[in-house]
Amino acid sequence: MTDVRLNVGDSAVARIAARRAARVPGVVALRADLAQTLVGVAGSVLGQDRSRLPTDGVNAVVRGQEAEVSITIATRLGHNCRDLCRTVQQEVAAEVAAQTGLAVTVRVTIVDVLLG
Amino acid sequence: MAVDPILDGGTSIDEVALEPLACGRDAAVVWDRAEAGTPPDAHERDCPHCTAVRADAAGLSSLVHRMAAEDIDPPPSVMERVMGAVMSELRPHDVLQLESPHGANRLGRPAAAGVLRGVVDRMDGLRARSCRIEQVPDRFDADVTITVTARFGVDLASVTARVRQMVLAAGEQTLGVPVRRVDISVVDIWGEP
Repeated sequence: MTDVRLNVGDSAVARIAARRAARVPGVVALRADLAQTLVGVAGSVLGQDRSRLPTDGVNAVVRGQEAEVSITIATRLGHNCRDLCRTVQQEVAAEVAAQTGLAVTVRVTIVDVLLG
Repeated sequence: MAVDPILDGGTSIDEVALEPLACGRDAAVVWDRAEAGTPPDAHERDCPHCTAVRADAAGLSSLVHRMAAEDIDPPPSVMERVMGAVMSELRPHDVLQLESPHGANRLGRPAAAGVLRGVVDRMDGLRARSCRIEQVPDRFDADVTITVTARFGVDLASVTARVRQMVLAAGEQTLGVPVRRVDISVVDIWGEP
């Protein structure tokens, strides 16, 4: 019988996580960090491959069968920050686990709460 | 005194060609002469190899100058995107810890302070000025220090009680950070025009 090993890369995990996190009610936006923003700006000037899913605001590291995902988001006044973070943690961890089979640790950072 | 013929760029260049063209002249010397704007000498005018080198030099020079002269046209939102990223680039001590069974999450301290100032601003007759949130080490509850200004005529004796209640409620309901203590200073009075 052939032994097949699946290797899931950091970017793949990050894209799955970004897509799921953006859909959690209360998440207004994923916020890219400075490095991602500068790369994104460079990409939009130089012309980039738009078929790729965005990973702004998400960093993922895969080590063996475990993945660590950190997500940076903005929300809006009216959503409880603590509860929103927990929901994002749960939903992203479940989605990444379902799609990749990895054990996932998710950490969420809220950097902005829109008051409008 | 012996003069280095390459640096000199004079008539003896044929003897020491380091990057010889088919005609024997040094490509680098021909290039440098072209770049310096020296008119082609008798040999260079007729020699196809030297002519090619001079054309290369001219081509690069015009390309470089054209690109340098071009206005950079950034997309309209670049400034906002970069500034947004700078603002949200949090230092480690700039975050509050949010309790979670799946491992603590984080809330930017400036954003949290903005929320508390925002809810106080919405109270009748009050405006928030500064707001500092200090989390108790290794725990999730926090001490809040807030300064406010009040409209002339607002009952100052009740201001502290109102603000305290608002901060306690907002801490729990909107931030998810239990507030252990609130220090309130009324620092100024303003009048409606």
